[in-house]
Amino acid sequence: MSELSEDTKQKIRDHFKDYPTKQAVTLPALHMIQDQKRCVSNDAIKEVAELLELSASQVHDTLSFYGYFRTEENPIGQKRIWVCRSLPCMLRGGEELLAELCERWNLLPGGTTPDGKVTLELAECLGACDGAPCILVDDELSLNMTVDKVESDVAEMFR
Amino acid sequence: MENGTFEPVLLKRIHQKDSDKLATYKADGGYQALKKALAMKPEEVIDVVKASGLRGRGGAGFPTGLKWTFLPKNVEGPIYMCINGDESEPGTFNNRILIEEDPHQVLEGIVIGSYATKATRVYFYLRYEYGRCYRTLKKAVDEMYANNLLGKNILGSGYDLDIVLHRGACAYICGEETGLIESLEGKRAWPRIKPPFPAIEGAFRRPTVVNNVETMACVTHILQHGPEWFQSMGIAKDANNPRDAGSYGPKLYCVSGHVNKPGLYELPLGVTARELIDVHAGGVWKGRKAKAVVPGGISMGFMSGDELDTKLDFSGPGTVGCLGLGTAAVIVLDDETSMIDALYNCCRFFAHESCGQCTPCREGTAWSTKILERIRAGHGKLSDLDTLQEISATIGTIPGTTICGLADGAAWPIKTALKKFRPEFEEYIKSGKRSESKVLAGAH
Amino acid sequence: MPTVIVNDIEVEAGPKENLIQAARRAGVEVPHYCWHEELSVVASCRMCLVECGERKEDGSVVMGPKLVPACQTPVRDNVVVKTDTEKVRSAQGMTLEYLLLNHPLDCSICDQAGECYLQDYTYKFGKAHSRLDEPKVQRLDKYHIGDQIALFTDRCVMCTRCVRFTREISGTAELQVVSRGSVEEIDVFADQPCNNKLAGNVVDLCPVGALCSKDFLYKKRVWWLKSQESVCAGCSTGCSIEADQNENKVYRLRPRANPLAQGHFMCDEGRFGFKYIHDDSRIKRPIVKDAVRVSLDAAKSPSNGNGKLASDLSYADPWIETLALTRRAIAKAIGKNASGFTALLSPMMTVEEAYLLANYLKSLNKSVRLAMGPVPEVGVDDVYPKDPKGKAVDAKDAKFIIRAEKAPNRRGVEMVLKHFEGKVISFNEVVNSRSQIEAIYIVGGYPPGWVTDKMMQLTESIGLVIVQDILTSGLTERADIVLAGGSFLEKDGCFINYKSLVQAVKPAIRSPGDARQDGRVLMELCERKGLYNARVLRQEIAAKIPSLAALAIGDLGENGISLATKSAPSMAMT
Repeated sequence: MSELSEDTKQKIRDHFKDYPTKQAVTLPALHMIQDQKRCVSNDAIKEVAELLELSASQVHDTLSFYGYFRTEENPIGQKRIWVCRSLPCMLRGGEELLAELCERWNLLPGGTTPDGKVTLELAECLGACDGAPCILVDDELSLNMTVDKVESDVAEMFR
Repeated sequence: MENGTFEPVLLKRIHQKDSDKLATYKADGGYQALKKALAMKPEEVIDVVKASGLRGRGGAGFPTGLKWTFLPKNVEGPIYMCINGDESEPGTFNNRILIEEDPHQVLEGIVIGSYATKATRVYFYLRYEYGRCYRTLKKAVDEMYANNLLGKNILGSGYDLDIVLHRGACAYICGEETGLIESLEGKRAWPRIKPPFPAIEGAFRRPTVVNNVETMACVTHILQHGPEWFQSMGIAKDANNPRDAGSYGPKLYCVSGHVNKPGLYELPLGVTARELIDVHAGGVWKGRKAKAVVPGGISMGFMSGDELDTKLDFSGPGTVGCLGLGTAAVIVLDDETSMIDALYNCCRFFAHESCGQCTPCREGTAWSTKILERIRAGHGKLSDLDTLQEISATIGTIPGTTICGLADGAAWPIKTALKKFRPEFEEYIKSGKRSESKVLAGAH
Repeated sequence: MPTVIVNDIEVEAGPKENLIQAARRAGVEVPHYCWHEELSVVASCRMCLVECGERKEDGSVVMGPKLVPACQTPVRDNVVVKTDTEKVRSAQGMTLEYLLLNHPLDCSICDQAGECYLQDYTYKFGKAHSRLDEPKVQRLDKYHIGDQIALFTDRCVMCTRCVRFTREISGTAELQVVSRGSVEEIDVFADQPCNNKLAGNVVDLCPVGALCSKDFLYKKRVWWLKSQESVCAGCSTGCSIEADQNENKVYRLRPRANPLAQGHFMCDEGRFGFKYIHDDSRIKRPIVKDAVRVSLDAAKSPSNGNGKLASDLSYADPWIETLALTRRAIAKAIGKNASGFTALLSPMMTVEEAYLLANYLKSLNKSVRLAMGPVPEVGVDDVYPKDPKGKAVDAKDAKFIIRAEKAPNRRGVEMVLKHFEGKVISFNEVVNSRSQIEAIYIVGGYPPGWVTDKMMQLTESIGLVIVQDILTSGLTERADIVLAGGSFLEKDGCFINYKSLVQAVKPAIRSPGDARQDGRVLMELCERKGLYNARVLRQEIAAKIPSLAALAIGDLGENGISLATKSAPSMAMT
C-alpha cells in the first residue's frame, strides 16, 4: 500500500521540469505531503526518496533541518498557530502572549490540543514586526494580537 | 505611511486598491522600465545599475552592478538568478510588504536584472511564513506569463525567462546566499565555503546571482528614472575614503518595538535614527525615552540612546560600533527595558538559528544563551561577562572562525550590549536579581 | 611546484595540496577534524585555522587580517603560513573549549582513549579547564547505527566525516545529520542501519570516540596494542593494513593509507574476516600418520596414530622428525613416478613461499607437476560508490572495489608457476587428470570452507597426500602428513595484487603452538642454510625469475612497488 497517492506522486514529478536536479524537489514534495497529511511519515519519506532518486536518510536529513516538518510520531493539529517571540514581538508582549496561550490551552510549545484542532508553536521573527506581537496561522500572518483575539480567531476557525 | 516631504517611490502604490494587480501597475507606467532595458544591450543595463551606485538591500550592502559583473563571460549553459525572499532578520518586514502590496515592481526589476545578467531562470526563494506573499506572487507571475512579460520572447525581444517560486521551511540561515542555494537544491541549508562564490559556481553548480527583493525593486526605478535620479537621493560617497561606495537611493526602514507608530517608512538613505523614530514613527511610546536602538536587525547590535543622531546609511551604524546598516530594521527599546532580557532574546534567536555547521557558532551561540539564562535566573557571576565577551570576539567571519556571517550577527548584540550597558549587567549580577519577563523554560 | 613558507620553514608543496598538507611537509602539525583527504572539504570544524599571507617579490611578508581554514586554502607560490601565533593558538584553544563544552569526560571508559584527537589536540593545543558552568547536555547512545557500529552521541564533534563517507565513497548514504544547531546529531534513517560492506571505515574516520566498532568495543585499551603494517588477504585488492595485536592475539585490522594499493579504506569482509586465525580448529602441530611411518619404516610417533598427542608431556620439537619423514615420503613418491607427483600451490601463499616450494620440488625432479590450487571467487567485483538504488558507478569512477577473487596473491603464485612449470595448470585441469596422480602436496592457508567435495574426491584415491594448512578439515583428516602452517597475519613475505603491486606482508603474531609460518616450514623442508629471511629470498627470486626482477630491491617499503609498466592503471585508482 502506497503512502502517497498516484496523484500526489504525479504532482511531485510535475516539479521536475523546474529544476536541474530531482533533489531540488525535496522541499516542494515535503510541503505537499505535510499539507495533506499534517506530518511526513517514514513511509512517505521513503517514497519521496524513491521518486527523487535519493536515499531516505538524505531526505530525512533535509527534512529535520527545517523547523517546519513533523514526523509521524508528532503530527500537527488541524490548525497550526505560531507565536513570535523575537525581539520586536518580545518588546510588545510576545513572550507573555505565548505563555498565556500555553496556560489557557494547557500546552507546551509544539503541543497539540487533545481534540487535535490546534497546535501551538513558538516562532522566531515572523516578519510582521509592524504588528507586534504577531502570530502565524498556518501560513497567514495575523498582526497586533492579544490572547483574547487569538482565542476568538480560533473559535471562528472552527465555527 | 508618513514620509515627510519625501515622495515615496517604492511604496507609492502601497495600500491602494488592487495595488498587486498587473493592470494597476501598468496603468501607473509599469513595465516601461523593462521595455527600456530590453532595447539596450545587457552590458549596458549593468552599466546603468553600476552608475546608480545601488547597493544590495539584503544586509551586506554589496554594490549590485558590480556583483553582476562577477559572472563569467561567454559562459555555456544556464545562468541562474536567485531572489532572496527569506527575510527573517528580527525586525525586518520590508520585503513582505513590497511583495504583498506591489509585486510587479519587484518582478519587473527581476526581469531586468535577469536580462542584464543573461539569466534564463529565476528561483524566487520565499520564506514559508510569507503565505500571502506566495499567493500574491503566484498570481502576479501568472499574469506576467499571460502578458508576454515572462516565458518565451519577452515583449518580442527574443529574450526568454522563467520564474520558479520556491518556498522555504522556517530556517533563518536560508537568507545567507549559499545557505539559500543549498536549501534550493533540496539539502540542509549549510552555507558553502567560499570560494567559489555563487557568481562562478552557485545554484546547481552554475553561475548564479543572488539578490534581495528590495534591491530588485530599486533596479526597476533606476532603469525608469536613470542613475542620476537615484544618486540624487541619499548620502554621497566620502571623497576621502576610496573604499566608501556611498549610500544612494531610497530605503525602506522598518521601525518596530517601543514606538507609537511601528511601520515601514521609505526615506532617502541616511536619515538619522532620531528623525526616523521621533518624526516618522511617532516617537517612543508611553512618553518614554529610547534606551537602545537596533539599527538594522538584531545582527547589527545595539546603539545606545545617546547615539540616535547616527545616520542610518551604509556606514553610519559602524561609526557607533554596530556591525552595519543591515536590513535597516530599526527596533526601539524604551528605558524600562532590561538589556539582560533583550540580549538573552538575541542570543536565544541565534542559538535557535545557528545551522550547526561551524563549531564556534554552533557551540558559542548555545553557550552564550545558557550563560544569559543563568544570569537571568539570578546565578550570574561577573566573570560570565568576560566569557560572553570572549565568545563574541571569537565567533564569526570577521575573526575568520566561521563560514558565514550568522555568527557575526550573533556576536554583535553581545559585544555592543556589554560595551554600552555593562554597568547594568554588573548591577544585575551583583544584586542577584532575577528576570521578571516570562520565558518558557527550555523552549528553544 | 609552489614554495610555501610554514612557520619560517620553506618547503615545496604539491600543486594540488592544501595548507595542512603543505605544513606536514615542513613537519608542522595543523590540527583538524573534518578534513580528510579522500572526502570533500567542508571546513566546518574550524580546528585548522591558521594565519596566512604572502611573501612579496621584495621579500616582505604581508599577512591577511583573518584566520583561514588550512584545509580549504590551496597552496600558492610564496604563500606564508603561520600556525604558532597568539591568534592561532587562541582560536585553537577556543575551538577545543567549544568542542569540549558538552563532551563527556568519560575517557576512562571510552574506547578511543589513547588514539583520540580530542585528547591529543587538547594536550597540544587546548586549555586545562572549561568555563562551562551549566550541566552538560546528555544524549542517548545509539547502538542501532549498524550491526558493527555504535554511536556514543555525546562524544561526537559533528565533523560529518562519517556522513560524507557514506555519501561520497560507499554511496550508500545511510548516515545523516538530524536537526540543526547545537542539538543536531548523527543518525541513520528509521529501519535502515549502516551495514554496507565498507561501513567499518566510519569508525576509523571518526576522530573521537563517537563511532565505535562493536566488535572491538571494550576488548582492549589501545595503548596495549602493537601495530604491524601488513596486507589484507581477503581479496586481490590487497588493502594495506595495520594489524593490532596484544599478547599474540589480533584484536582488529585497520586500513593503512596507501595510494598505490586501495587508498585509505578497507572493506568489512577483510576487516572482520580474519577471526578464523584464532579459531580452535587451528592446526597447532605437524602430524605424520602412522601408516606413513610404517611405509617409511620409521619409528612410531608419540601420538595415538590419529594425530592426537598421547600425552602433552611427550613434548619435543615435532618438526625435525616430521620434515625428515616428509622429505623421505616425497623422495619415495617421486622416485616411483615423478610425473605422478603434483603440487597444488595456493593463492594464499606469499611469493617467497611459492618460490621455495616450487624450486624445491623442481630441483628434485623436473617432471613433478606444479599447479594452481583453487582460486576462490565470489560473485563479481563489488564497486563503490553505489547510487541510492544500489547500482555501482562505472569501474573507472570507482572509489573502492571489493574484488570477487578472494585471494591476495594469485598473480604472484602464477608468476612463480609460469617460471617453473612454463604455464599455469589450473585446479580443474588437476581434477580432470586425477587418475594420473599418485602423490599430491596441497597447500591451503585459506579461510574456512575451502575444502570442497571436489577436493575431497580428488584426494580420495591418491597414495600420498601432504597437506600444508592452518585449519583442520576433512582434508587434514584425510592427509598422510599435515604441515601446520601460518595464517596471513603470521607470514613474512609479499603478495602481488590484481594490478601487480608487490606489497610486504609482515607477521603481526606468532603461529599458535608448534605451527609455523609456511616460509620457515619450507626453508627447513628443503634444508636450506640460514634462517628464513623474506628480504634475502626476494633478492634470490629476482635473480632467478626475470618477471620478478624488481624484487631485487629487497625492502618493499610501506607502500610496495609496482611491477606494472607505466601504461598500467593509474596509481590513484583504489
